[in-house]
Amino acid sequence: MAGFQVWLVSTFSSVHPIATMMRTKWGWPIAESIHFIGLSLLVGCIGVFDLRLLGVGKRIPVAALHKLIPWGLTGYAINATSGLMFLLTEPDQYIYNPSFHFKLLFMTIAGVNALTFYVTVYRRTTAPGAPADAPRFAKVIAATSLSMWIAVIVCGRLLTFYRPGPCPRSGPGFLAECIPAKKGPGSIAQ
Amino acid sequence: MTPPPPHGLIAWTAWIESTAFSIWMRESPSVFAFPIILSFHTIGMGLVAGINGAVALRILGIGPSVPVGEMKRFLPIMWFGFWLNAVSGVALLIGYPTKALTNPLFYLKLGLVAAALVVVGLVNREVLDRYGDRPSAAIPVSVRAKQLAVAALVFWAGVITAGRLLAYTYRHLMADM
Repeated sequence: MAGFQVWLVSTFSSVHPIATMMRTKWGWPIAESIHFIGLSLLVGCIGVFDLRLLGVGKRIPVAALHKLIPWGLTGYAINATSGLMFLLTEPDQYIYNPSFHFKLLFMTIAGVNALTFYVTVYRRTTAPGAPADAPRFAKVIAATSLSMWIAVIVCGRLLTFYRPGPCPRSGPGFLAECIPAKKGPGSIAQ
Repeated sequence: MTPPPPHGLIAWTAWIESTAFSIWMRESPSVFAFPIILSFHTIGMGLVAGINGAVALRILGIGPSVPVGEMKRFLPIMWFGFWLNAVSGVALLIGYPTKALTNPLFYLKLGLVAAALVVVGLVNREVLDRYGDRPSAAIPVSVRAKQLAVAALVFWAGVITAGRLLAYTYRHLMADM
């Protein structure tokens, strides 16, 4: 796993144009602002839909409110793009960061949870004449979705506080949560 | 660093910085100090900007069969996010009062929050209350309502941008620097 992480870092580091742009005076701050606007679009649209499944605004047909979801996904796309820009610029600050590992884990759970919604209760909740009260299983999915996105936000914010340092002499563990010393000619020993 | 501006503000922020809570905010190694309070501030941001954004998108025509007035049901959660941010924002301010209060961007952010709140009030009174729970596909949303929705999106995006830029801009980090 540590070998895979080292490979990821060196691959991301080899993409230069994005990093060059991000290292300009306003590059990183602007990308951060966009990332937070995308975050709000995502949790606003997806969160409002989740709240409806949980029983807020029962007079709104679930199918009608589902039209907000593409905007939530737009927020997701904005954040995947801006997030990748951070990753390409400072790969070792993310690839070796435990907070980033958990952020990816919670994003994955949120994604699987959303897919579960579409293959199970989506049709039942959005059918014409569907009851205003969503089935219990849909509520479990909505609560999971809200919790996971909140967890993703928290992990994102904690990234800065869990910045990885250089690995101890014993080297990185299975999930490298420290920056391994660079090997090979011309490398800087850490 | 340029010397602090010669007025009473710095004396006051220096006093805040010397209080136990301010020191705890800056120096506690606990994840429940600065890191979690900052996380709460971001969750609140998502709820406030996100829910107001969703209401604005509905007014602008997304989800035309959603009864416009019924979007009001999500506002209590938006207000929960707002108060979460008022409280966490004050805690963050107590941690670094000189840094925030000597930065013009901080006042721009507060001004944008105020402007956005005026728009929330106008949307509430002129749009959500007026449309009530009527199924609204048939009722055209007024141009004025759409202007308010665009203003809401612009102001909240402005608040987020100004807030984010606060992390990268300051004149004086601490009163004695």
